[in-house]
Amino acid sequence: MQTPLYHEHVRLNAKMVDFHGWDMPVWYTGIKEEHLATRRHAGLFDVSHMGEITVSGEAAAPFLDRVLTRDIASMARGKALYTFLLNDAGGIIDDLIVYCLEPLTGYLLCVNSSNKDRDLAWMTGQNAEHALIRDMSEAYSMLALQGPAASAILRACLGFDDTGMRPFSFVVTDTPAYGELIVSKTGYTGAGGVEIFLDAGTAPALWHAFTRGGATPCGLGARDTLRLEMGYPLHGNDIDDTTTPLEAGLDFAVDLGKKGFIGEPALLAQKDRGITRRLAGLVVLDRGIPREHCRCLKDAREVGTVTSGSISPVSGKGIALAYVDARIKDGDELLVEVRDRTLLSVVTKPPFVPGTLQA
Amino acid sequence: MNIPEGLRYTKDHEWVRVEDGTVRMGITDYAQHELGDVVFVEIKPAGTQLKAGDAVGTVESVKAVSDVYAPVAGTVTEVNAELEASPELVNSDCYGRGWMAALTLASTPDLDALMDAAAYRAYLEQEAK
Repeated sequence: MQTPLYHEHVRLNAKMVDFHGWDMPVWYTGIKEEHLATRRHAGLFDVSHMGEITVSGEAAAPFLDRVLTRDIASMARGKALYTFLLNDAGGIIDDLIVYCLEPLTGYLLCVNSSNKDRDLAWMTGQNAEHALIRDMSEAYSMLALQGPAASAILRACLGFDDTGMRPFSFVVTDTPAYGELIVSKTGYTGAGGVEIFLDAGTAPALWHAFTRGGATPCGLGARDTLRLEMGYPLHGNDIDDTTTPLEAGLDFAVDLGKKGFIGEPALLAQKDRGITRRLAGLVVLDRGIPREHCRCLKDAREVGTVTSGSISPVSGKGIALAYVDARIKDGDELLVEVRDRTLLSVVTKPPFVPGTLQA
Repeated sequence: MNIPEGLRYTKDHEWVRVEDGTVRMGITDYAQHELGDVVFVEIKPAGTQLKAGDAVGTVESVKAVSDVYAPVAGTVTEVNAELEASPELVNSDCYGRGWMAALTLASTPDLDALMDAAAYRAYLEQEAK
């Protein structure tokens, strides 16, 4: 599948890959350059592959309160929340952001493209409340404008001032040139900025406006290194339907007090028992890069497995997320097996670097 | 795609340059482009004996790690120490300062098995289809 910006990516000579069925750019000029441009100035990402699902009707809030882990009914218009769809065992079917368009009756869910069909099937199967669930992914495109200069570029290109907006808030704004935009103070880079949902037809024009305004086109490669520097999990790597939010250290996105959501009994039981593994950050002291599936050793005993690993373009050090024995503490040293070597690493609570850097 | 004349090429995208009984080697422009930003290069130390096709080291980019193979049989005589501090030379100057190792040439006929620039270009075009 191709996003509305496919021809733009090709024109920019991007290295393209098949990402869960989507032809997506991994990089245009290089991951490091794009990564640093985002931390220091502004990066522009085509994330139109993301899935958009609307849930509406009188039953919308009661239904979402049962399938999602946050308190949905109390959301005000213009508020967004990071949350999960869990299975009965408390495993993460998907992580997503829910946007309250209309309190109690209108919500937009932004889900991982690779999970969208599974999410839809799960929600439809659970929909005893008869909420109206619609896949809007074809109608919506999505751009992420991220970095310390994002506000200035938004102001210059759209006359839009986002400086008063709080993180995880959004506004719906009508523009003469690009139609209706949902501008959201969210992102996957830690660099600040916004994510914008818009009509697929006007996405290329807004993309051009932002690049002319000084934003650097960035591919999925930089998106991955940026999120890893912040310690943000990637579904399919660091979290999946066999790991729980408690094990992943994502308790903040679970309102255990609200009662009655799918997976809650399993999470309460796990909380009682105590977790046996946890998702930890690793910073490598030796020269080398940990990669997914590398084993972690302590005193010659296997104590964990890397789920995401790369090099931090900012620090030049190897960084990773790994599930480790829950008894392992931040500050402990581990060895990570990389091919025929082991790399000395320190268990470190992310973020691994500051989200924005001086230009 | 930069494919200089006068070098020999492998199907694994290494190049060799013959220099007086030794060969200097590295990875091609195509290979560095496919890898993206090179962040580590590890080459077996001088004295290592290799058969043609043995791994002579690894080159690692932000995204991926890949083995580098000896294009010919020989013994490593020199390793490009500059790559330890500046691995990005593999991207910026893959046929020059981004060279990886020098090997003794154990057997001249090994070279005949490698592609010249025209054959390598044709090979890349074939692979792209």
